Amino acid sequence: MFALLRINAATGVSTLEQHNGKEFLLGGRTLSSRLVSREVVADCDPLGRKNKLFFCTGALAGTVTSSANRLSVGGKSPLTGGIKESNAGGIVGTRMAEHGLRCIALEDAPAGDAPWRVVVIGKNGVTIEDGAFLVGKGVYERSDLLSARYGKDAGCITIGPAAEKLLSASGIACSDPHGVCSRYAGRGGLGAVMASKKVAALVVLADGPHKPQYVKETEYREESKHVVKLLRENPVSALFTKYGTAAMVDICQSLKVLPTQNFRHGVLDGAEKINAQTMYDTIKARGGEGRTQHACMLPCAIQCSNVYPDADGKLLCSPIEYETMALMGSNLCLTNLDTIATMNRIANDAGVDTLDCGAAIAVAMEAGLAAFGDDQAAIALMQEIRDLTPLGRILGSGCKLAAKVLGVRHAPHVLGQAIPAYEPRGTKGMAMTYLSSPMGADHTFGFTLRDETDPLTKEGKVGLSKKFQVIGSRMDAMGMCNFVRYAVRHDMGPLLNLIKSYYDVDISPVEFDDFVKETLRIEHQFNLDAGITAKDYRFAETFYDEAQPETGEKMDITDEETAQARAW
Amino acid sequence: VVTLTFKLTEVGRVSINLQTPLPLCDVVEHSSAQSGYRPGGYIAVRGGRVIGADTMIADGDHIDIFPALSGG
Repeated sequence: MFALLRINAATGVSTLEQHNGKEFLLGGRTLSSRLVSREVVADCDPLGRKNKLFFCTGALAGTVTSSANRLSVGGKSPLTGGIKESNAGGIVGTRMAEHGLRCIALEDAPAGDAPWRVVVIGKNGVTIEDGAFLVGKGVYERSDLLSARYGKDAGCITIGPAAEKLLSASGIACSDPHGVCSRYAGRGGLGAVMASKKVAALVVLADGPHKPQYVKETEYREESKHVVKLLRENPVSALFTKYGTAAMVDICQSLKVLPTQNFRHGVLDGAEKINAQTMYDTIKARGGEGRTQHACMLPCAIQCSNVYPDADGKLLCSPIEYETMALMGSNLCLTNLDTIATMNRIANDAGVDTLDCGAAIAVAMEAGLAAFGDDQAAIALMQEIRDLTPLGRILGSGCKLAAKVLGVRHAPHVLGQAIPAYEPRGTKGMAMTYLSSPMGADHTFGFTLRDETDPLTKEGKVGLSKKFQVIGSRMDAMGMCNFVRYAVRHDMGPLLNLIKSYYDVDISPVEFDDFVKETLRIEHQFNLDAGITAKDYRFAETFYDEAQPETGEKMDITDEETAQARAW
Repeated sequence: VVTLTFKLTEVGRVSINLQTPLPLCDVVEHSSAQSGYRPGGYIAVRGGRVIGADTMIADGDHIDIFPALSGG
C-alpha cells in the first residue's frame, strides 16, 4: 500500500489514504499527472481553489539506489494554462519515503487575505504553523530560518517573494543535502500555485520511522550496485561527473544552436569564456567552497551538480546548469561566468525559473531596455525581479508576457514557457520536441540533439522526437534522475529488476513504456480540456519568417506534423 | 591523415592514416584502438555540420567528436 496525504489548505484538515496499484507503485510523473488529470478541473483558474499541487516520490525513493529521489510536482500551470509536471532533486523525496508517503496533496485555498502557513509533517502527524516569519524573505534566508527551526536535515519545500506575488515564472525550491533550498522544480509557475494556497513552506521532518521493506533484499542491493556500475562505466555519465551539463556550451556552439541575442543567433563570440572547461578551471583555481562535482540528492553516483565560488572562494551559486548558462549568458551576449552565477543566485533567491526569467530579460534587451552584453544591466534587470518592481513583475511573469508588454514579436516560447537552450531552427528534432510537449517548450521531454544526423531537416523528426519522448519520460515516470537514462537507454531491465526485488511486482519493459505513453495521452487530453488547441503549439511567427543567420534555416514544422508528434 | 579531436576529454587529438575513405564509425573504431578511449555516444562535426556514423571520411578531414550529453 502507498500513502497519499491530503492537506486542505483552507481548513487545515489532513487525511491519510492508502492506495494500491502500479501508478502508485511507480509514483513520479506517472502518479502526479494522473492525479492532476483526475482531480483538477482542467479549465479552472490555476491560482484558484480548484487547482491542486501533488508532490510525489518515485518507485525507489528512500532506498540505497543511486539517483532515485527526484520529487515530482504536478498541478495546473499558471504559465502555460495546461498540465505541469516539474521535478527536483534534493532530500524531500527521501524524507517523504521515511514517513512512508508516496504523495502529498495540497488542496483548496483560503481567502487571499488569509495568513501564511507552514505545513509540518512529522512522526506525530501534520501541524499547521504560522508562516509569518518567512514572508517577504528571499529563499536563502528562508532556508536558514527553516533549518534553524526544523533542523538542517528536514526536507523543506518553499517559495520565494516572486511566488508570493503570484508571478508566473516562480518555482518551488526544495532543500539539498546541506539544508539549502536550492533544488528547483522551477518550470511552469508552480511556486505561484503553492502561494495561492498561502503555504509558505511545507516541511517533512527527519523523524520518519519508515525503512524500506525489500521483498528480496540481497537481490535488491546487488541490482543497485549493478546500476552504479552501469553509471560509472558509461562514458557519457562519467563526463557528467566531471563537467556537469555545462559541457553542452561547446556542443551547441559547434552545432550553431547556442541561443544568442534573444534567439536571433546560434553562435556567440567568446563562448569559450563560459564553457565547461572554463567553469571547471575557475572552480578549481578559486578553491574554497567551490566544488566541480556535487550530489543534489543522496545517494547519487553521477554527482553532476557543482558549487560555483566567488573570487574569495565563498559559495556564490549552486548549481549552475547549462540551460542557465545559455539563457542568462549566451542569450544575453554575456561571457562572464561570475555575472551568470550572480544572476542565478538572485533568481534562486527570488524563487524564479532561470530559463523563463533569462528569456524575459533577453526580450527586454531586444526592446531596448538594456544593451546585449551589458553585464551590469543584466544583473540590474534580474534584481528588478527580486525587488518586485513593476518591471520586475513583468519579467518575472515569463517571456511571453514580457514580450507582449514590451512590444517584442520575437518571443521565444511554446505555450508561454520559454524555449530552453537549443535554438530550434538549427535543430528541428528539438523544435519538434518543444512543439509537442504538453508542458510547453521543454528539452528534457525528448532530447533528440545527440541523434540527429541532419539537425537542419525536419524529415524524420516526428518519429525521432516520439522515440525520445518515451526514452526521456521513462525516468520521470518512476522518479529517477534523467541522467540515469544513459545507462539504461537500451535496456530498462536493471531498473525494472529493482522494482521486482523491492515489491515483488513484475513490470515488463513493454508494460512500462505503455504507462509512459498513457501518461502522455492523459497530459495532452488535460490540455485539450483546458482549452489549448493545436494552434497554440507554435513558435512566434518570426521563427517561421526569419532565417537563423548561421544555418540559414527557418522554422518549417507544420501543425499537422506537431499533431502527429503529440498523438499517442 | 584524418584528425579527430575528442572534445572535453583528456585524449585530445588523434591522427589516423587512411589509405581509402572509410565510414565515420570505422574511423572512430580505429581511433579507439589507437588511443584506448571509447567515446560511447558521440556527436561528430565536420566543417560545422553534423555527420552520421556512415558518413565517409577521407584524407585531410578534421572532425570534432563531442560526448553525446544533454542539458539538465
